[in-house]
Amino acid sequence: MGIARHKDMVEHSRKRFCLISMAIAAVGFTCGACVRQEARIQEHQEKLESLGSTTAAIGRAWLGGDTSGTFTRTALEQTFLLVEQERSALADSPQTLLDPRAAHLSQAAEGLSRLLALTINDVDAADSGSVRRRLTEIPIMPSARR
Amino acid sequence: MSALVDLILGIVTSIGGFVEVGSISTAAQAGSEFGFQLLWAIAIATVMLALLVEMSGRLAAVSKDSLAAAVRERFGIHFQLVPLTAELLIDILLLAAEIGGAAIAIQLLTGVGFQWWIVPVGGSVWLILWLCGFGLIEYGIGLLGLITLAFVISAWQLQPNVGHLGGSLLPTLPTHHFTRYAFLAVSIVGATVSPYLLNFYSSGTVEEKVTESELWVNRTTAYVGICFGGVVSMGVLVTSAMVLEPQHILVDSYEQAALMFVPVFKRWAITLFALALGVGCFGAAVEITLNAGYVFAQVFGWSWGANRPRRDAARFTFAFTLVLLAALALSLVRFDPLRLTMLSVALTVVIMPAVVLPFLVLMNDENYVKTHTSGAIGNGLLAALTILGCLLALVVIPLEIFGG
Repeated sequence: MGIARHKDMVEHSRKRFCLISMAIAAVGFTCGACVRQEARIQEHQEKLESLGSTTAAIGRAWLGGDTSGTFTRTALEQTFLLVEQERSALADSPQTLLDPRAAHLSQAAEGLSRLLALTINDVDAADSGSVRRRLTEIPIMPSARR
Repeated sequence: MSALVDLILGIVTSIGGFVEVGSISTAAQAGSEFGFQLLWAIAIATVMLALLVEMSGRLAAVSKDSLAAAVRERFGIHFQLVPLTAELLIDILLLAAEIGGAAIAIQLLTGVGFQWWIVPVGGSVWLILWLCGFGLIEYGIGLLGLITLAFVISAWQLQPNVGHLGGSLLPTLPTHHFTRYAFLAVSIVGATVSPYLLNFYSSGTVEEKVTESELWVNRTTAYVGICFGGVVSMGVLVTSAMVLEPQHILVDSYEQAALMFVPVFKRWAITLFALALGVGCFGAAVEITLNAGYVFAQVFGWSWGANRPRRDAARFTFAFTLVLLAALALSLVRFDPLRLTMLSVALTVVIMPAVVLPFLVLMNDENYVKTHTSGAIGNGLLAALTILGCLLALVVIPLEIFGG
């Protein structure tokens, strides 16, 4: 009788242990996923801020007469491609875009792409006034955080 | 007098030939993301390379065998197949990256897409190898490569804080992005200590018939030339850290990297950057291709030599042509040259033990180096760094690729 009760207790403890372990694993996995998601968004933000800053640097160099129209066009086109890569990477799962920060970044990336397209057009037309104005409208620039 | 000329030319070519697509990419990324903090990785990699290059020259001058031939003889063909296969795979990846780098340099100058320049660049590499002897290839590339001193001038003009520079020569942990930091450290080592350099240098020593009495020339060239080469690489990192990091520009393309010259060189910035990148990559592409011919010919016992008429070394010529074609085919597949470069230099560290460890055994075998064996400290240091680098690379490469 005593042995059977002891066996029941052991079995009960084992089940409880399994349940608690599974709960901890589930919480850990969820937290891990949240942290990964957070890190991913942070990474995209840094990349997009870098691309915004790159756009400004390319534009300033052209306005200062340090770079040719040919290089400026190529560099802006390359930046455009990188922005588009970031934008599609950001929107590769619906879960990511549910995050308000990711959604905001996606919109900023779209704005940056459009601004790059317009700036390329302005550089082709050698319209320095327009390029100067566009540089003040870059939708995403580095914060002082880094 | 002749030894002195050889010494000066050797040092100059070591400096001019040091920087190529891998070192420019890794140092530019490291500077833009971590400021001066990864200078120590360049310093360690440069010391490793100087030690290894001196050893490979010593081995060749004393034994009259290149590294690949000596490993084949000492360990047998079955053992040699492992480092040979690993090195050839990495060489093809690196060659594709170098050809891509040279093509990007032309794109920076002309605005015409880099894909259009890949075949002409590959054709030019082959033509140079077909037409020129070893001396012209080595010294020509080295002298043209002095354009890369622009990185040192630029870093000097930007007047970095000397205390911060000195402090960065000691390894420290980053405050953010640890995986990325470790990946860049591994990539810097891989970009600097390319296995092809060791066999290329030893084959060159055999081609130039360096004797035992000229070992001092070999030693001085290796230590002085390569250490100054390391300074050029540090110039890339410092310039990037001074110009790109304050603007929070992360280097994801060569166009972004080229902007690092603007504050110092103004109108000449892009032209100078493109020339430095182009000459560095083109020179490395010629050397990697030639080395592929050397390795095949030396392992399989064929007649070899850049100074021989091509018809007297037909299989050697065929081997380097084949490797060049393989790299060209890889380059023509739609790829991102910067990512390919970063991947290939990081993978280089993974295969390094397969190349370096047998080499260290040879350097302690008196049948090959007579009384000129290596010291225990140098051997131990190189073996430890090689294995440590490989283990670190095995951890950080998957984390970098699949997300850490």
